[in-house]
Amino acid sequence: MVPDVNAPIQIKEGKLIQDADRMILNAYDASAVEEALVLKEKHGGEVEVVSVGAAKASETIRKALAMGADKATHITTSGDELFDSGSYARILAAFFSDKEFDILSLGKQSQDTDSGLTGSMVAELLNLPYTTNAVGLEIEDGKLIVKRQGDTGQEMIELPTPCAVTCSNDMNEPRIPNLKGIMASKRKPVEQIEIDDLSMDDSALEANTQVVSYEEKPAREAGKKFEGEADEIAREVAQLLDTEANVL
Amino acid sequence: MSTLLTHIAISDGKIKRSSLEVLSHCKQLADQNGHTVEAVIVAPEASSFTDEVQKYGASKVYTVEDPIFKNHMNTPVLKALAKVMEQANPYVFAFASTEGTKDIMGALAANQQAAVLPDVSAFKFTDDGIQAKRPVMAAKIMANTEAKGDTILVSVRSGSYDLNESPTEAEVVNIDFSMDEGELKATLREIISASGDTIDLNEAEAIVAAGRGVKDEEGQKLISELAEILNAGIGASRALTEAGVYDPSLQIGQTGKVVSPQLYIAVGISGAIQHVAGMANSKVIVAVNKDADAPIFDVADYGIVGDLYKVLPPFIEEIKKIKG
Repeated sequence: MVPDVNAPIQIKEGKLIQDADRMILNAYDASAVEEALVLKEKHGGEVEVVSVGAAKASETIRKALAMGADKATHITTSGDELFDSGSYARILAAFFSDKEFDILSLGKQSQDTDSGLTGSMVAELLNLPYTTNAVGLEIEDGKLIVKRQGDTGQEMIELPTPCAVTCSNDMNEPRIPNLKGIMASKRKPVEQIEIDDLSMDDSALEANTQVVSYEEKPAREAGKKFEGEADEIAREVAQLLDTEANVL
Repeated sequence: MSTLLTHIAISDGKIKRSSLEVLSHCKQLADQNGHTVEAVIVAPEASSFTDEVQKYGASKVYTVEDPIFKNHMNTPVLKALAKVMEQANPYVFAFASTEGTKDIMGALAANQQAAVLPDVSAFKFTDDGIQAKRPVMAAKIMANTEAKGDTILVSVRSGSYDLNESPTEAEVVNIDFSMDEGELKATLREIISASGDTIDLNEAEAIVAAGRGVKDEEGQKLISELAEILNAGIGASRALTEAGVYDPSLQIGQTGKVVSPQLYIAVGISGAIQHVAGMANSKVIVAVNKDADAPIFDVADYGIVGDLYKVLPPFIEEIKKIKG
């Protein structure tokens, strides 16, 4: 669950003021759900979604169920905690530590913070093989074959199960739930548990990073706009790049 | 006195400039705060890069050499870095933010119980930790974020700092490394589309980026021609990488690469916030778009309103003339 980055945002005295009603399913998580559903359609199995978040997160969980996930667990928070990626990773690791699964499919980052840490943290805490930034998943002979986008090319990585993978939104177009899916989602089980139900120390929840303030990014001033005869303005800008901007 | 350790990334047999940017910044911070700056190179021939690294002021360079590091794989890299951290005991361990870095940052932090600030555009010391500026909300907003702890990992966006030479004599420390096949949790089967001799966008001085307006081979030819005379890397918007017109590794934006070249020429790109998030820190931005209201013009220093098929040929011709 993330705030909609396309919704208007304001900063007042260093704090971010958002329309709190605009919380959406993180696009990268939506891709992770979609990919899990595709694998289930091809190979069978069950898709369970797990979300850590305030009461509001039940709407995004419901969306994943409407897309086709079978069941869900909502690890509830008050929404006021100062958690960072490490806190969330330790919560998820505590939850998954006694669960059986083949593939842990996560979004590669959250759209609001772009941190991209939680997936590999969870994998490390659970001592799972993992890879990040997946743009394609296949199952072959019980192994997960991940196509991942690296720095200069795409890599095919083979992971034994159980394993973890973080998904890019470039791997698929998450399905839009249809009416049937939405109706069905209302009957699907959502287990609510509290962080206190997990066996973890309070100290494991502590964040060691914290946002102290937000500020507007110094806006880039729109520069000169050239309209008119293509040939003329093209040559004029080329000249300015040389004489004024000095970048040629 | 604490240690600032800098990770030196190697790509195509060369040190990544963005790593040297981070090293330059760490050297400056170390000098200001009475700390020492050290570097680590994990590569098949790591020791061949130590000369260049000491030009930027590292007093000690750790090298971890093994053929296994030819291609990025997270298990061996994590093992190597954990070993170096054990020996160097750094207070801050700084990386250039690459896909390779993103792949291991969280796991290394969890493994070392370190605080971690990924993908920052600036960082400095505070009394009890470090403070960093991180672009958030599709890079529309800066979050001033603090990290506290005995060990802090940080990764820095390319182009955030200037290169600054500060030659020293570095002590080179080679770290023994071996890895059994059995230890490899994940195996790399193949690399599908290494972009070969194309220019690394994170390192490029100039980038020509193609968007939806580039409709056909004729348009792509114009993009290539322009890139060639500028010695520029070619980038693309998500629309064109998704359509398979350009390789996915060339995608610029929140999902793809975040770049900050001296010159960025956006051709036929409307300028959705996700794209702008990936290029707004470029020094000079030129936009070519036939829609005068396209949002790309809000960030462009030079906006050319016109049909790219009519604008680019004289634009290319004029630049050729200037370059003589």
